[in-house]
Amino acid sequence: MEGRSGLMDYMDAYRLVSSYGIRTVPGRYVGSADEAVRFASGKPIVMKALSPKALHKSKSGLVALGVDGKEEIGRAFSSLRRKAERYRPYKLLAQQMVPFSEDNVEIIVGGNEDAQFGKMVLLGLGGIYVEAFRDFSLRICPITREDAESMIDDLKSGHVMAKDERSRRMIVDLLLRASKMLTENSGVRELDLNPVILHGDTYSAVDLRILR
Amino acid sequence: MSHYSSFKFMMEPRSVAVVGASDNPKKVGHIILQNFIDMGYAGKIYPVNINSTGRIAGLKSYKSLRDIGESVDFVVIAVPAEVVPSVLDDCGAAKSKSVVVVSGGFAEVGSVELQRQLADKAKKYGFALLGPNCLGVMNMRNHVNTMFLPLYKFDSPKLGGVSFASQSGAVGSTVLDMVSNEGFGIAKFISYGNAVDLDEVDILDYLAHDPDTRVIIFYLEGVKRGREFLEAAKRTTKVKPVVVIKGGMSPAGASAVRSHTASLAGSYQAYEAAFRQSGIVQADSLDDLLDYAKIFETEPLSKGPSVAVITNGGGAGVLATDSIYDNRLVMPELEKETAATLRKAMPPIVNIRLPLDMAGDADDKRFEAALNAIGGDPNVDMIITIALFQTPGADSAVAASIINYKAGITKPLVVVSSGGSYTQAHRRMMESSNVPVYSSPEQAARALAALYKYSKTRGAIRKTK
Repeated sequence: MEGRSGLMDYMDAYRLVSSYGIRTVPGRYVGSADEAVRFASGKPIVMKALSPKALHKSKSGLVALGVDGKEEIGRAFSSLRRKAERYRPYKLLAQQMVPFSEDNVEIIVGGNEDAQFGKMVLLGLGGIYVEAFRDFSLRICPITREDAESMIDDLKSGHVMAKDERSRRMIVDLLLRASKMLTENSGVRELDLNPVILHGDTYSAVDLRILR
Repeated sequence: MSHYSSFKFMMEPRSVAVVGASDNPKKVGHIILQNFIDMGYAGKIYPVNINSTGRIAGLKSYKSLRDIGESVDFVVIAVPAEVVPSVLDDCGAAKSKSVVVVSGGFAEVGSVELQRQLADKAKKYGFALLGPNCLGVMNMRNHVNTMFLPLYKFDSPKLGGVSFASQSGAVGSTVLDMVSNEGFGIAKFISYGNAVDLDEVDILDYLAHDPDTRVIIFYLEGVKRGREFLEAAKRTTKVKPVVVIKGGMSPAGASAVRSHTASLAGSYQAYEAAFRQSGIVQADSLDDLLDYAKIFETEPLSKGPSVAVITNGGGAGVLATDSIYDNRLVMPELEKETAATLRKAMPPIVNIRLPLDMAGDADDKRFEAALNAIGGDPNVDMIITIALFQTPGADSAVAASIINYKAGITKPLVVVSSGGSYTQAHRRMMESSNVPVYSSPEQAARALAALYKYSKTRGAIRKTK
């Protein structure tokens, strides 16, 4: 899945990120609707078509959320294949689904490389907020725990994402791990963990993208 | 502090050679030489010009640095760009200790190869080189000044503890001219232009160690060694405040086929992150730069974000309150004892709460009582005193009471005063006694916010939890 843009294969990126203890939702490529059904084992799943030519999956209609049961999975599988046809080559991914709750909070954690300062790590509230309000904080890697704390405090939305001590600790921990991953992997030029969902007493990066 | 001694040779030279010195008043070399003479520089001065006939500006002159017969501490080069490399060979042969090339005509006009020769020669001969395409240096203490500006065009700032480094010569001289009207003074000035050898990192390291420098202000368009700059800035902000204004906003990631992160986090944002992370206070305008320099020059660090406002005008107090919250500072509640003390000291028409509006007839006694009570309140970290001299009660005694109080307090205090000549006279009175005065409540609050931010960097904030 090596595209011109240098997009790292999703499962490779998944394994790299996981090896730094960053929590992601389990997922696998599926070649048929049956494989997806077996992966789901009775629970609702998310299905995505991945292509280096379509960086904005949801805008291109390449994501199906909360697909539940054999029939729905079958329909989603063929629909995604049809839509993804124009983005060949593509792969179909099935992922476990994060349980929905009103209390879930979405954040974005990212990485970029600056010509002058090198790797940087970014934090913002997820969804449209980070781009619409440009409310994000940025630090040069590697960051310290104090840097990570101040990244939250610098945001207007800081108290929304770090609504209690536990969320705050999770975000700080995630930022430190992302910074370490970026620092130690010179080939990783850009990183998007977008969104990362804070749910219950944990978090999950439900989509991730690495550019080499 | 690798280049500390190089800068010391420039800033405190026992001898100076001006290459390109001339009797022609239109030549840059003439202005530089004449400024050394007129300002009363006490060291030896050697005018050098290839066409020398023995004397320039009344001093014995030389055709070449090699003829001087002494290794000069500081060589100022003001000759056409294409001649500079050969003058650097002379510097090498004459074992000059430090060199500034004020001449332009290098990378800034596309002559990259010529500029590379300068870097190579500095390396080859082992002297430190400042410039080219710059104004050089100024030390307010000993009248070392390589700025090629006729003295009548330019108000000299006072001597003080603020040192200023500027990539751009024009921004440099403009700011210095502006500073001459301010209450604070300058220690050192460094204009470094194209920075072929000495750059931002060397300058920060030098000023961090320079005992005359208490505050560093910096105009920069870009740095050459990002990582080292970050580290140098971290070291520096541990001992003295650094205020930076960054010129040149680069648009963030233009290409659509990139990650979200890359589209947000461009080069300008990287600079902001580096400043934030290293404890540098960023100024958004030249006005902010001067306002922040002023507060850092005189005020101690703050122990918290709480600002009390004392005013002799109600509206100004309301505006100040708004500005305090706009800048993420807060206004505290007064302690009961403070309120009781104030109740006794203030007439019945005065409401005892912050902002404390002492009414238009407030005189020096009322100012003094308010400052003493509120300054002693443990809930108050910083104070804005608004003194409107148009009011019936305010006169020189009010200014004097603020000055007296300021001399004995350890909390940051700034004054807001604006108006015509009567106000200006009192402003100068206060500023010459180390009381920072601002024209508007907004400026005062921004300056206090900058001070608070830096106080956090230094770990001065008391723990509340």
